[in-house]
Amino acid sequence: MTTMLSEADLAALTADTVVDARGAACPGPLLEAKKAMGTIAVGNLLELWSTDAQTKVDVQAWAGKVGHEFLGHVSADGYERVFVRRAK
Amino acid sequence: MPDQEKLVIMVTHGPEEPELATIPFVMAGAAVASDVDVVMGFQGDGCRLVQKGVAETVTAPEFAPLAGLLDAVREFGGTLLVCAPCVKSRGIEEELVDGAEICAAARFVAEITSATSTLVY
Repeated sequence: MTTMLSEADLAALTADTVVDARGAACPGPLLEAKKAMGTIAVGNLLELWSTDAQTKVDVQAWAGKVGHEFLGHVSADGYERVFVRRAK
Repeated sequence: MPDQEKLVIMVTHGPEEPELATIPFVMAGAAVASDVDVVMGFQGDGCRLVQKGVAETVTAPEFAPLAGLLDAVREFGGTLLVCAPCVKSRGIEEELVDGAEICAAARFVAEITSATSTLVY
């Protein structure tokens, strides 16, 4: 499921868990997201940091497949902040 | 379609071809992260990738190091099947990483024919 929020809305979010996967190549950030999802409650928000340009696309596809809610991404200083809510 | 998806990935390239050795592990990593059952089958020089100490020597440009990908596949429950004559001819039957299982053709056939998809590298 995808619920795209505006950049302003995303920037205002406070994640329950932040995972720093900067420097990891595909599928490293995805695997980190998978691990982190197992540690947070349904409804909680995961923020994933990645320097891999494809992560935001990959995570959106992943979230759609496994049933989490992809909220979008915002650019930070040299990396992307990707937001996914655990939905199951 | 079965409720649980299963992806079989056949690996035939060894450490001398790091990109083709790494890509199947990238696919396997993405699959296990996506709750897909993964069976990796190693044949030919591919079996050397699950020889102890070899994965640590394989890194392809712009890809994650193979050793970490192998760890992730194992951590998330991926199955590692290794061709019996391939490891015997290379004298590495006793040198495989933990979790690697030596098997013969019929096991590969059973895994492939019961899978929802198969990739061959």
